[in-house]
Amino acid sequence: MKEQGKWRVAALLAFVLVVVAAIGAGAARSAMSHKTAGGIIVDGTTDSVTNIDPAGNYDFGSGTLDYQIFQHLLEAGPGGLTPHPVLATKCGFRGNLKTFACTLRKGVKFHNGKSFTSADVVWSFDRVVRIKDPSGIYTLLSNLKSVKAKGKYGVVFNLKAPQATWPQILTTGAAQIVPKRVYPLKKIKPNSSSQIGTGPYQLKKFSPGQQAVLQKFKGYWGKPAKNDGVIIRYYTKSSTMKLALTRKDIDMAFRDFTPTELVSLQKTKGIVVHKGSGASIRYLVLNLKMAPTDKLAVRKAIAYLMPRQTIAKRVYHGLVKPLYSMVAAGLPGHIDAFKTTYGASPSLAKARAALNAAGVRTPVNITLWYTPSHYGDSSADEFAEIKRGLEQGNLFNVTLKSAEWAQYSDALGKQYGAFQLGWFPDYVDGENYLLPFYDAKSNFTSNNYNSAKMNALLAKEQATKALAKRIAFIKQAQTLAAKDAPIIPYWQAAMVAVSRNNVKNIGRTLDPTFIMRFWLISK
Amino acid sequence: MASQGTSLKSYLLTRLALVLPMVWILLTMVFLLMRVAPGDPISSSLGGHVPPAVVQEIKHRLGYDKPLLTQYANYLWDTVHLDFGTTITDRRPVTDVIKVNGAATLELTAAAMFIAVAVGIFLGLVAGRFRDTAIDMGARFFGIVIYAMPVFFLGFLAQLLFGSILGWLPTSDQASPITEALIVPKTNIYLVDTALVGDWAAFWDVFKHLILPATTLGLVISGIFIRLVRVNVIRTMKDDYIEAARARGIAERNVVYRHAFRNALVPVVTVIGLQMALLLSGAVLTEETFNWPGIGHSLIFYLDNRDYAAVQGIIVVFALIVVGMSLIIDLVSAAIDPRIRY
Amino acid sequence: MAIAAAREARRKPRLSRLRRAVAPIGDARGTARLMLWTGTLLTGLFIFLAFFAPVVSPYNFDQFQANGVRFDQLAHPSSEHLMGTTVQSTDVMSRVIYGAQTELEVVFMALILGLAIGVPLGVISGYFAGPLDRGLVLVMDSLFAFPYLLLAIVIAFLLSNTVGKGVFSAAIAITVVYIPQYFRVVRNHVISVREEPYVEAARALGARPFTIMRRYVFFNVVQNVPVIATLNAADAILTLAALGFLGYGLQPTDKAEWGYDVSRALSDASSGIWWTGLFPGLAIVLLVTGLTLLGEGLNETINPVLRRRRVEKVELGTPTSIVESEVGP
Repeated sequence: MKEQGKWRVAALLAFVLVVVAAIGAGAARSAMSHKTAGGIIVDGTTDSVTNIDPAGNYDFGSGTLDYQIFQHLLEAGPGGLTPHPVLATKCGFRGNLKTFACTLRKGVKFHNGKSFTSADVVWSFDRVVRIKDPSGIYTLLSNLKSVKAKGKYGVVFNLKAPQATWPQILTTGAAQIVPKRVYPLKKIKPNSSSQIGTGPYQLKKFSPGQQAVLQKFKGYWGKPAKNDGVIIRYYTKSSTMKLALTRKDIDMAFRDFTPTELVSLQKTKGIVVHKGSGASIRYLVLNLKMAPTDKLAVRKAIAYLMPRQTIAKRVYHGLVKPLYSMVAAGLPGHIDAFKTTYGASPSLAKARAALNAAGVRTPVNITLWYTPSHYGDSSADEFAEIKRGLEQGNLFNVTLKSAEWAQYSDALGKQYGAFQLGWFPDYVDGENYLLPFYDAKSNFTSNNYNSAKMNALLAKEQATKALAKRIAFIKQAQTLAAKDAPIIPYWQAAMVAVSRNNVKNIGRTLDPTFIMRFWLISK
Repeated sequence: MASQGTSLKSYLLTRLALVLPMVWILLTMVFLLMRVAPGDPISSSLGGHVPPAVVQEIKHRLGYDKPLLTQYANYLWDTVHLDFGTTITDRRPVTDVIKVNGAATLELTAAAMFIAVAVGIFLGLVAGRFRDTAIDMGARFFGIVIYAMPVFFLGFLAQLLFGSILGWLPTSDQASPITEALIVPKTNIYLVDTALVGDWAAFWDVFKHLILPATTLGLVISGIFIRLVRVNVIRTMKDDYIEAARARGIAERNVVYRHAFRNALVPVVTVIGLQMALLLSGAVLTEETFNWPGIGHSLIFYLDNRDYAAVQGIIVVFALIVVGMSLIIDLVSAAIDPRIRY
Repeated sequence: MAIAAAREARRKPRLSRLRRAVAPIGDARGTARLMLWTGTLLTGLFIFLAFFAPVVSPYNFDQFQANGVRFDQLAHPSSEHLMGTTVQSTDVMSRVIYGAQTELEVVFMALILGLAIGVPLGVISGYFAGPLDRGLVLVMDSLFAFPYLLLAIVIAFLLSNTVGKGVFSAAIAITVVYIPQYFRVVRNHVISVREEPYVEAARALGARPFTIMRRYVFFNVVQNVPVIATLNAADAILTLAALGFLGYGLQPTDKAEWGYDVSRALSDASSGIWWTGLFPGLAIVLLVTGLTLLGEGLNETINPVLRRRRVEKVELGTPTSIVESEVGP
């Protein structure tokens, strides 16, 4: 018995030693084997994929994946903002702004070997409208009356109302081309079945919530990708992703680190933080039918007190820029309307004057709502700063409340008096930053803003063909928006990607279109 | 008063009959809670990007504004047919979620339980054997403190120490990206899948990824086993037959190893079953910390998106597992100890 | 005269019963004593911090400036900020101290609610048996068998809109998870006590059920409760921290909460900032350890006196809990 006991203990110890030794050895070995398989870029992200089928998603995670697999008739960028032909060769309006025709590119093959023709284009658009997927992507095509094929390589779009920005609509996720019949006309193709597009990558494997494996498509009609493939790894916590990046488990990460993590990454050896001009914005929506924001004076006071610089510096460490208009900076037609009307920095005196002039008693009680994780953890910090900014001079008495996204997005203007929202554009044009917020018909913030003057302006803008004239309307709309102040914009983000220093060319894809084009990147 | 020993068969039948009401109660609870909680899957995926009129129209189209009773009836009907539907967020069949992610959780919890039992039993035996000595106090103290440590805190410290500072072990996911891309999932338990194919480099990679999460969860739960085993050893050592063995002149070591320990371990089986609830709760936190693609992780994801179908399906499966396990454990206990039946 | 004397006689037993229940604590020796006193000290420390937070804490939990000067963000521990500052420029030590207030507030509320509901239900159910008993046991077992964290999450979710994300809703979420525990233990105990000869005798003498329950059963049963309560308090704190970590807990602007602070600190630590997560985490460990030691110590001292005879009639569902199996010294 004694000997047995001794043997058992010895065996246990030996086992432990072997395991420890093996870990050490294995750690050294695998540093060479799996991690740096040359030519494959491993990208981490905290986004998630809902549906790969372009007709079934309206979120960033799915969109990023789709952009590698599918293509559009027209695309914007990299670099420039004007849509240029990709699957089409020439496009233009015919006569009025209600008919748009495109000549298609010949010799393009889908991943399954089939040839690309006008029938695929008609099929793709028809199914988006038919399926009316709950993600809401079909709303982008709400102005489409019909799409018809003109021969094998021609297509005509008939619109319901004149829309000068229809080319921009063709660059969105609603306009991605899929092969006829392979994608059901009335249903979404499930993620578990193969996805076929014309893009530079083929989707080889998709594990929901874990990773997507993209392989370079050998039969691609255009310039081949600069790498052999991409593996997109999905994380829920940015801290885990950061550890993975510093440990070389992944080569790069796009969306989303916390500001603190980014600052620390900037200081880490072997890691580069790439910044490009961005187009996503953050703003505070004010409800025009709830106290106290129903009073213009209160809204003006908030506009005077908004601590943009503090937020940009302290919360985001310079990775966002103060924003003075709902139309993002860098877009044609942008003006710093709020700076002109309310000044660049917070002004306590002017805010107090505005409130006194209207006879509003201070401190004004107001509840500010934000959502704690949908836009990142720093939302809490952001609103702590806004609270501090508004409570200066005892002008406001702020109560902060938060709700998780699922509940928050349902409530918005129906229940909240003042709330946080963020926006990244469907297409890069000033119009896409105005209609969803100020047009009474398409306003999705439910903040009850309905100005006849604004509605008229926007209607005119949509119907104008000449760019210069359109821009004039866009500028007028911004000035009016600042005067009425139903929404107060406060920052615009740079497009940020972080990578190890052996990854090249990321800068080329960082532009206001906010699209990550993996095929430009190499190691 | 004291129960007569009823037959094993009638005990089994009674217990089985009780499974149904238990599961039904849980189902109804989940249904009500999900429906009554504010927010719904549609707004969650759409909100902030489309006009509210569109949101309403879609909700109506999908039947989310039907009366509660109708929805409940449909829900029960589907569940009885084991039709858990598809998730609303990403259109995955719920059974697929359970199969794939459930397997990952199984891998994690099985490994964690193994560690918990090994560490817990070892320390418990040692503590009970050397009662009231420094070893005993040390082991008990360790057990208490380790259980007091929140799983996410311990996990995070482990990540920092072994992953970041020492760099020995990976800190997240089930496998390295390229390894994972190459695995052919059959059982979805990666250890098994890689072994089946004989890809030992991949097996080692998967094993390394399992170490930190499993050890974190396992250690925290071992605290309970330490306490239990220790008490049982102490109790067993006081029993008559131990005295008898000593009186017969058997060496103390034999007395301890052969008699006391073996008998002390019998109730451990029972306790393993009891810890299922604890293990699953701990698994949720561990999965969040280590980005482990298990079913707890999925649950949080779908819960955040108010995905009724997914959450209901997952919780039903949880309930069935827990009820099933407790049934098995009870049967085993009842088979061993006739006094427990009624 | 006789009536007064009888009343006198009745009054004494109650006091001595109580004294009997509490006496063993003074007799505790060895490890039990060590655990008891260590646990009391630790727990006492946090209770002290909770009560005297405004006095002891250098700053308020959401205070980000003093004398018009803002604190630094994520500052190292220094003489002004003994535990450093957070990303919102708030003082870590103040958040830890006020966090004690939050934790104890929530747990205390949850305990009271749980005891107030679980114990009487257990007594009634155990005493009357029958269909009511079976029904209740079924419901309780369903709740008990379920992973407690998921239950707490779902309930916290539900309540966050109706009741608001406050102390109260967190307390309710935790209560629901622990009611089954009190219920089961009390009920089992009542069942065994119910068959004791003296209870039989009381019944034979014609005492009303509630009198019996109050006089004989309750006091016997209630000796168990402090042990379970402390151990459950320990668990409840872990549950609350877990809820806070996952983001389903309290509104972070209303109260400081340790679990939430640790979740925010995760991203800090990989940047080399350890103080935002270490101190709240340690606080959780210390408080839970203190409560557990207290509970274990109580268990060791009180239980032997009880010497509960376990009638081997196991209730429906899962086997008996750990506490019950730890009979005897």
